[in-house]
Amino acid sequence: MQSPTVNRVAGRSPGRRRLADRDGLLGALFMAPAIIYIVALVAVPFAIAIAFSLADVTVGDTSLTFVGLQNFRRVMDKEAMPQFWRALSDTFIFTLTAQAIVIVLANILALVLAQDFKGKWIARMLIMLPWATPISLGTIGWLWIFDSKFSPIDWVLQLVGLLGPDTLLGPGRHMNFLGREELAMASVILVHVWRMLPLSAVILMAGLTSIPQDLIDQAEVDGASFWRIHFQVRLPLILPIMSIALLFGLIFTFGDMVVVFVLTRGGPVYYTQVLATWAYFTGIEGGALAQGAAIALFLFPLLLVVAFLVLRNARRTEIA
Amino acid sequence: MKHKLLIIAVLLTAAAFLIVGCQPQEVEVTRVVTETNTITEQVEVTRVITEQIEVEGEQVEVTRIVEVGAEQQFPEGTEISLLQWSHFVPQYDTWIDEFAPAWGDSVGVNMSVEHISFTELFPTLTAAIDAGEGPTIVELVIGGSLFVEGVHDLTDLNMQAQELFGEQIDTCKANSFLPTTGRYYGFCHGWIPDPGDYNKTLWTEAGFPDGPDTWQDLLEGGSFIRDNLGVPMGIGMSPEIDSEFAARALIWSFGGSIQDENENVVINSPEVVEAVKFMADLYDQTMTEEVFAWTAASNNQGLIAGELSYILNSISAYRSLQKIDPEAADDIFFVDALKGPRGYQHASAHIWQVYVIPNYVEGAELEAAKAFILHHTANYSQAVFNSEMYNFPAFKSTVPELFEDGGWLDVDPFGSRPGDKLKVLGTAENWVTHLGYPGPANPAIVQVYAQRIISNMMAQVAKGEKTAEEAVAEAEAQITPIFEQWRDRGYVGGE
Repeated sequence: MQSPTVNRVAGRSPGRRRLADRDGLLGALFMAPAIIYIVALVAVPFAIAIAFSLADVTVGDTSLTFVGLQNFRRVMDKEAMPQFWRALSDTFIFTLTAQAIVIVLANILALVLAQDFKGKWIARMLIMLPWATPISLGTIGWLWIFDSKFSPIDWVLQLVGLLGPDTLLGPGRHMNFLGREELAMASVILVHVWRMLPLSAVILMAGLTSIPQDLIDQAEVDGASFWRIHFQVRLPLILPIMSIALLFGLIFTFGDMVVVFVLTRGGPVYYTQVLATWAYFTGIEGGALAQGAAIALFLFPLLLVVAFLVLRNARRTEIA
Repeated sequence: MKHKLLIIAVLLTAAAFLIVGCQPQEVEVTRVVTETNTITEQVEVTRVITEQIEVEGEQVEVTRIVEVGAEQQFPEGTEISLLQWSHFVPQYDTWIDEFAPAWGDSVGVNMSVEHISFTELFPTLTAAIDAGEGPTIVELVIGGSLFVEGVHDLTDLNMQAQELFGEQIDTCKANSFLPTTGRYYGFCHGWIPDPGDYNKTLWTEAGFPDGPDTWQDLLEGGSFIRDNLGVPMGIGMSPEIDSEFAARALIWSFGGSIQDENENVVINSPEVVEAVKFMADLYDQTMTEEVFAWTAASNNQGLIAGELSYILNSISAYRSLQKIDPEAADDIFFVDALKGPRGYQHASAHIWQVYVIPNYVEGAELEAAKAFILHHTANYSQAVFNSEMYNFPAFKSTVPELFEDGGWLDVDPFGSRPGDKLKVLGTAENWVTHLGYPGPANPAIVQVYAQRIISNMMAQVAKGEKTAEEAVAEAEAQITPIFEQWRDRGYVGGE
């Protein structure tokens, strides 16, 4: 006697039965939308960018006349384009500093959020807000906070007697956050941290909550302190997921142009320029599309290696 | 339970206070503009032009009647679209949103208008040219020569317009004509003067009741005002449009330039070095560090807040102030471009409004686009009025109301006190220059502008990081290869 399920399958037409039974074909069909999406929106633009960087295109003429590595040589010329080297070093400084701060703060935040306390869902939701806010909108808010004349931070500092004539931060009445090199760089890093912290914290919190309670209980019974448990039990266990959080953070921050574009446009002088903004100013606003593409692609090989190493490390740690 | 009820009661009370506090209050508002006129009557297909011509060495006034884009009908289904920046004066957008489709209806064309931020114009046009489809007409505000390879040659349209409306103002021609190609890549219909805006009370106390006349006056008066009255001056040195133009105005007024009239790089000159040193002095004696962080709106905001004694900008800040605080607006006055030590007097226009038509536009769509541009130019009185006199015409004959005795510059229809406050703008044609002066606004000069090389050069010296000589030499090293690249493509002259 056949089961009802088998009877229903047997009742279908031979053609449909063959399709339903062919796992390979079905798998390909289900994967197709994702593949089409990646090819159309990632692979094709990426290939076009590579072609542009090796050709003599401008904003007015995108016909491809290949010139080899000429664009890369031009953008790397220290005398002709000193901004490029400054942008390259700033990209590293902003990304690495911001991610170091994010990982430390995200660990603390994740530990707090993983605790059981009243209103923890509201707290989690509020902490996610910077990530949910469109980055351009959030950065415009920060632009106002750092404004040279109307900064609320200036106002508070003046109120508590720290800013103004004969004060610790005086004699000026304004901090000029975006007009001083060090403060401008710190401001850009702060906004990157503000943006990336929620995502990293939530990823780490998911890792922390997945650790079996038995392990923690056992360590506590053995007399381990909080810090010993944290550094020798929790951290090793969440290392794979922490690597993923770090990878996301690195790639998002390396490739971001919005924060610098909105906050400083690379200033003061070009002391907060990053590769993404410099590619835009050269390629789109300056019309030298080929050079812009070369600048934008400059970090790709490095990011590829970073992604490969982090993912491999995460997998090894997981298997171990 | 009692505690919970208490907490709820407190929260409700607080919410009630908040709601009451947020209720709109009746506020007495004094408006400068008590009566707003509108100009909606469209110019007919013919126009009477009165102009001076030279006959046997004497100036003779002649009157002639010209045709303006005869009201032809286009094939059924013709559609054109205009992509332009969101104008700083919203009324202009409201006006053109009605004006353009109305013209379309009269000639059988379905015409639409779209507005985007001016920072998005370049990316959008680049993408459209690459894709081979997009808007029919794009209004650029600066640097249209970058697109010379991807847009139609509009020499015929410019010639026709000059035939119809008379001579085009030089600053507009320089921003739509590229000498090395001998073609007009765009049609410049308007430009925006960039006078000095100053606070009269402050400058009167400094001994300059009519504002500064020279850069030296600016240094002396600005210094007095900052040191004695606590108000700094605002010439930006950050990567933004106003800073770039202010730096150029100073260089030109000192007799220097980035390129010469033959498109050779000449920035490394004693005049430019002198100008850069002067800017450093100006910063030391009249400004604060904020000028290194400014956006394009910062000097407007500073003037409106009464925290800047002088800025170099269009009248937009003043118009905003008129609406926010009419009393404060009464204290803002204008001066023309400042003179340099050898009497040169130059300042760039704020922007230029240049229509370009991408190469993918063809057939009836192309013809309709050209007809619209002529129609728009013929009706430029409406454009000037609805921009609250922010736009100035490329063809003066199209807006006689602006320049005539007792016209809009003599009696501001938007309520300036005194009414002739904007009269100084009538002289702008004498000192206005363009990006690239004394050469053309070629693609190389636009790339130099986009990479903010000039404002950075000024800022590095003002910050004391480099000497003027070093900064100018470094700028030259950056600018020369840019010129060579575009020269190789045939879009820059010189050697």
